[in-house]
Amino acid sequence: MKKYLALTIAGMTRTLQFRLGILVTVLGNLIYMTLVYYLWKAIYASSPSQIVNGMTFTDTIIYLVLATALFNFLDMYIVWELSRNIQSGAICLDLLKPVNYRVYMFFSFFGDNVMSFFLTFLPTFVVVYFVADGKIDLGLNLIMFAISVAFALLLNFSVEMLVATICLYTESTWGINIVKESIVLLFSGATIPLVFFPEGLRTVIGYLPFRCIYDTPLNILLEKPGYTLDSGIWSMIALQAVWCIILSLAGRAFWNFSVRRITVNGG
Amino acid sequence: MNEEKAIIMKNIGKDFKVLNRHEGLKGSIKDLFSRDYNIVTAVNDISLEIPKGQIVGYLGPNGAGKSTTIKMMTGVLEPTRGEILVNGCVPYKNRAKNAENIGVVFGQRSQLWWSLPLIESFRLLKEIYLIEDDEYEEMISLYKSLVNLEPLLHKTVRQMSLGQRTLSDILAAFLHNPKVVFLDEPTIGLDVSMKAKIRDLIRELNKRKKTTVILTTHDMGDVDALCERIVIIDHGRMIYDNDIDHLKSYFGSYRTLKLRLPGDKWVEELIDESKTDAMSVISEYQKKSKILDIKLEEISTEEVIKKIYMGETVKNEKISGIDNSRDDKDLAI
Repeated sequence: MKKYLALTIAGMTRTLQFRLGILVTVLGNLIYMTLVYYLWKAIYASSPSQIVNGMTFTDTIIYLVLATALFNFLDMYIVWELSRNIQSGAICLDLLKPVNYRVYMFFSFFGDNVMSFFLTFLPTFVVVYFVADGKIDLGLNLIMFAISVAFALLLNFSVEMLVATICLYTESTWGINIVKESIVLLFSGATIPLVFFPEGLRTVIGYLPFRCIYDTPLNILLEKPGYTLDSGIWSMIALQAVWCIILSLAGRAFWNFSVRRITVNGG
Repeated sequence: MNEEKAIIMKNIGKDFKVLNRHEGLKGSIKDLFSRDYNIVTAVNDISLEIPKGQIVGYLGPNGAGKSTTIKMMTGVLEPTRGEILVNGCVPYKNRAKNAENIGVVFGQRSQLWWSLPLIESFRLLKEIYLIEDDEYEEMISLYKSLVNLEPLLHKTVRQMSLGQRTLSDILAAFLHNPKVVFLDEPTIGLDVSMKAKIRDLIRELNKRKKTTVILTTHDMGDVDALCERIVIIDHGRMIYDNDIDHLKSYFGSYRTLKLRLPGDKWVEELIDESKTDAMSVISEYQKKSKILDIKLEEISTEEVIKKIYMGETVKNEKISGIDNSRDDKDLAI
């Protein structure tokens, strides 16, 4: 297991090498959050009541700010990295490491996640916690949130790997990745809280794996109804676990099948 | 199986399925729905046995199938036909296991972590390949005795010059003391002194660690400096497999005769000594004019290889009229 720790630490060191990159990410998020703030302010201003779909303006903003922070925390750029490696042929060198490729990929990126947790998610959460002024509990929900986030991280990885595997066949990525990003962002609740979706669609989305990535952990953190220890939390986490198992098994099978017929470019 | 052989290949072949592309926008649209595939044979019927500890030069013109063969030996590609054993195991079936016993350098790519200092890359490799502490220390001190390692260790790979990077990549490939190391054009783009340094390093490591080295290159200096044995392939087929001394007499025993004639003019004659001797050529010239100076040179490896590549091309052009499947050379594998 020491090798995976070493890979994680290398990832963290790598992130820290790019000081400017971190700064730009933080700045970019600030601009995005400003945009979100005024957009939703306008939406609420045009609504006759203070509460839309059971959420006040403050609720929505808290949700979306944390969703963005969580997105930054969990995001793995596997599709980009892998497709670049396929096109340049550098994937050869990674395939020739004496480790399981998927596990290797996971831990190569995991260091980034650890760094983004400390650099973006944690500071954002602290700020939101004080701004929200007592709306967020600091109790058992934090532990449940941690469990849920672990599943979310694995799920996100599996989705990324599945899409990245498709790129082995197409050898071009841009379009596929845009489709993936849009689907995940829309159906996971990272851009629009899921309660804003029409009833029928919401039921369908409720069973999809995407919402398990951002919506479930966030609702657990914010102790939304149906996501508390008193009611429903275990079924939500079970849903995450089931998707986690299905997608990682499917992803592994698909990858192992695909990598055999790989043709590596160049050389 | 066979303990003395590092690599055994029997009748190895590799086909690629390539979509028959049409020209222009219309053609591209047609291609979207096309099922019109061509089978292109990149490697055909290669049989090879490489004993442990040998340095083998694996040569061939661009697109001959060298890299494809190397990829099959490393386990990245699965051969279409034939049997292959590297260190006694089938590489594509146990890719991760095979990886423990091989090292790879692709001259144009780096396996090192781009943004980390070299020492961090080495430590990562140490963990990934499960290298014992004492073996690691021993290897590092061996490296320190062979090259000036200290200034490289704390430099990030992206700040290195190409030569430093290649040197580091070679050290990284040997770090876990693999049984076989594949070097794919390791000296590409390097200056003369760096080339010499890298050749010395490869020779030393091969000697000390008894590592089998498979070297592909287009630089005949590498071949002369390193290889005991040479395998040449072209159009996916093996056309030569013997030691380097044999190579020079491959087309008969050639020598280059250089004569300086009046008017400070040098004339070169390539002489096949199995057919004629240098003396008779000289006397032929002497009948016509005065000879001021004479030089007799051994044919260089480069000349021989050039002749082999060109000879094969000519032969294949003749064949191509009958055998159209060989025409497809734009497959850059």
